[in-house]
Amino acid sequence: MRKFNVLSVCGSGTVTSSMIAEKLKEAMEEQGIKITATEAKPTEALQLSEGGNYDFITHTSPLPKGNYPVPTIDAVGFLTGFGEDEFLEEVMRVIKEIESKS
Amino acid sequence: MLDLDLVVLHMEAETSNEIIQNLGALMLSKGYVKDSYIEAVLERERNLPTGLPIGDFCVAIPHTDSGHVNQSNIAITTLKKPSVFHSMVNPEEKLNVEVVFLLAVKDPNLQIQLLKNLMSVFQNKELLIKVRDASSKEEISELLSCLAQ
Repeated sequence: MRKFNVLSVCGSGTVTSSMIAEKLKEAMEEQGIKITATEAKPTEALQLSEGGNYDFITHTSPLPKGNYPVPTIDAVGFLTGFGEDEFLEEVMRVIKEIESKS
Repeated sequence: MLDLDLVVLHMEAETSNEIIQNLGALMLSKGYVKDSYIEAVLERERNLPTGLPIGDFCVAIPHTDSGHVNQSNIAITTLKKPSVFHSMVNPEEKLNVEVVFLLAVKDPNLQIQLLKNLMSVFQNKELLIKVRDASSKEEISELLSCLAQ
């Protein structure tokens, strides 16, 4: 199964990031993709993503400005359901881009 | 069943801070959260607000780090009149919030089902409108029975 590591960011690093991570895992499993997620706070996002262990970032809080080495995807629409399809399309686009590079 | 002591119908409050303080005091009185919880939620809301636009309807989900929580729970209030919370998406944007869910989460990994259920509540606008217009705590508890742990 194709595997991707996701950094799921929210303000507390716990609540909405866990909600997004879990829902993304379920949605991607249907596509034959295994998602492993790590939850983090916005202040930790840049440094963690520079560590090189994550394929992309999903966030429900605005990310601090910076030069993120991986794609960042706004996940609030996934939380509220308004913008759910757009979010999943963006995730699939990012995944295809990563796969085409590897 | 939700803890009915944590449900407030048609709260009269001037500000989002007042709503958080009122609901937080209920959490505190039942021992679900630590003394530091309310201030931590207020502080977080200032920097990382939690208003969520759901179509033409807005809710807010104030919360904070699990370190301020003793036991997970949710306090819910409908408002006498909409209150301004800032948007989670764009903190500069003001939203007129009609229902507030104050979250106390101890261990997000254990409470994934609860959080997932909460997400599905946000995605059900008809349900949220029924919650907003509910005339008793029992009705809210019934409507949101999926949130009971």
